[in-house]
Amino acid sequence: MKKSDVKALASMPLQSPTFPRGPYKFFKRQYLVIRYTTDPALIRAALPEPLEPVGDTVAVQWLDLPDGEGLGAYSATAQVIPCSFKGEPCNFISQMYVDNTPPLAGGREIWGYPMKFGKAVLKVNADTLTGTLHYATQCVATGTMVYKHDAFRKDYAAEKERLARTQITLKLIPDIDGTPAIAQLVAINFEDVVVHGAWTGRARLEMVPSVNCPLADLPVRDIVGGLHMVTDMTLPYGKVVHDYLA
Amino acid sequence: MNAEEILNLPSMPAASPSYPRGPYRFIDREFMIVSYETDRDLLREAVPEPLEPNPEGQVMYEWIRMPDSSGFGDYTESGIVIPCTFQGEPVNYTAQMFLDDEPPISAGREIWGFPKKYAEPKLEVCSDTLTGTLHYAGQLVAMGTMGYKWQRAPGGVEAQAKGMAKTSCNLKIIPDVNGDAKICQLVAYNLTEIEVKGVWLSPARLQLIPHVNAPVADLPIKRVLGGKHFISNLTLPHGRVLFDYLKDA
Repeated sequence: MKKSDVKALASMPLQSPTFPRGPYKFFKRQYLVIRYTTDPALIRAALPEPLEPVGDTVAVQWLDLPDGEGLGAYSATAQVIPCSFKGEPCNFISQMYVDNTPPLAGGREIWGYPMKFGKAVLKVNADTLTGTLHYATQCVATGTMVYKHDAFRKDYAAEKERLARTQITLKLIPDIDGTPAIAQLVAINFEDVVVHGAWTGRARLEMVPSVNCPLADLPVRDIVGGLHMVTDMTLPYGKVVHDYLA
Repeated sequence: MNAEEILNLPSMPAASPSYPRGPYRFIDREFMIVSYETDRDLLREAVPEPLEPNPEGQVMYEWIRMPDSSGFGDYTESGIVIPCTFQGEPVNYTAQMFLDDEPPISAGREIWGFPKKYAEPKLEVCSDTLTGTLHYAGQLVAMGTMGYKWQRAPGGVEAQAKGMAKTSCNLKIIPDVNGDAKICQLVAYNLTEIEVKGVWLSPARLQLIPHVNAPVADLPIKRVLGGKHFISNLTLPHGRVLFDYLKDA
């Protein structure tokens, strides 16, 4: 392959790039978000400076992504820490687990989504919207929520506002000698967000301590509630808002 | 978490880095390599300039069982390696790699540019047959077989250890946050502290099945040259940049 063609590749490997160029559009992207309060000192320790904590509420969310352009069908679990950057409210994505290489590698390499391989499942079991996460064969998180208890709500303004909030990731890529080549805070804003439906209701969350999947390091004090959403959206490229090497 | 702590992290996520800093030590790393001859024009196409593929059209299809790998754990890998030259120096170019463990996928891609994807490779002794298989996204895409410890390789463990010290190289591509290439390099590394415990040769067979996202069959088999099986301890250190496409091309 010619050098000029090498430079134009979207990703490794040369013979079958793992992910194409973005942006990436998602259809019927389904969320189970469980918000809970935790120890504010642990939130402070988990947030990279200059991000500032906002309150003591964090979230664990399950995503079912049946139709992601360029990425395929997969599921994910994430931990999200609300925070502020220079006064703007943001969501720091602190941990993320997926079961599919293109979003795993693309997520890490483009934006710095902190993805590892984990087996997340989001499904309706009888009367219960159920999220589970297995990491290295062990069940490390189970979230449950009532199924569409407020079925007749039509105003999704709060959900749209939530989805429009800037996401922040910490992108770290080492150089070939192991020293940091990229160390940045990256901001991402979803575009073309459509909310097909959104439901709130009672929820419970169980997390099991696991060293390589440490969701339980932000332990549950009280459950705030559950949010179930079905959406379409576009994941565009991001922008660097802080460079630790600059 | 402050800036100094962030810059000391070996990898993402900050909450539990995928991989520690290297070097990485492998104990009882077992290889099965089936060498074959392919189409030279397709081989030229699969190798990034300025690397030059070997004129014989030789390809090595590998399975590697890694039961004890510092920082990475217990996993298996399968993929394609192409003997090449870089400015006249012999190097092994890793063209495709598939494995079943995230830390070596992420570390492989992010540190050295190993072209790794998640899949399900297996290397096992099935009665009299050393057997490698690779499933990608639920489908079988490769199967290799060789006789079990059929014949000790001439030259023995010393010659094999010497061969394994040969320079290996990868094409490392990391996009910027806007999708443009941020890093686009040929990187090289050399294994160190190599101890070979045994090396065997035997006849071999290899089946590669066309698959778009695991295109191992894109370099078709014209003729199988033979199989090699060996068990080793080795260290994978950090590497060096051979060629920078953003600066030198």
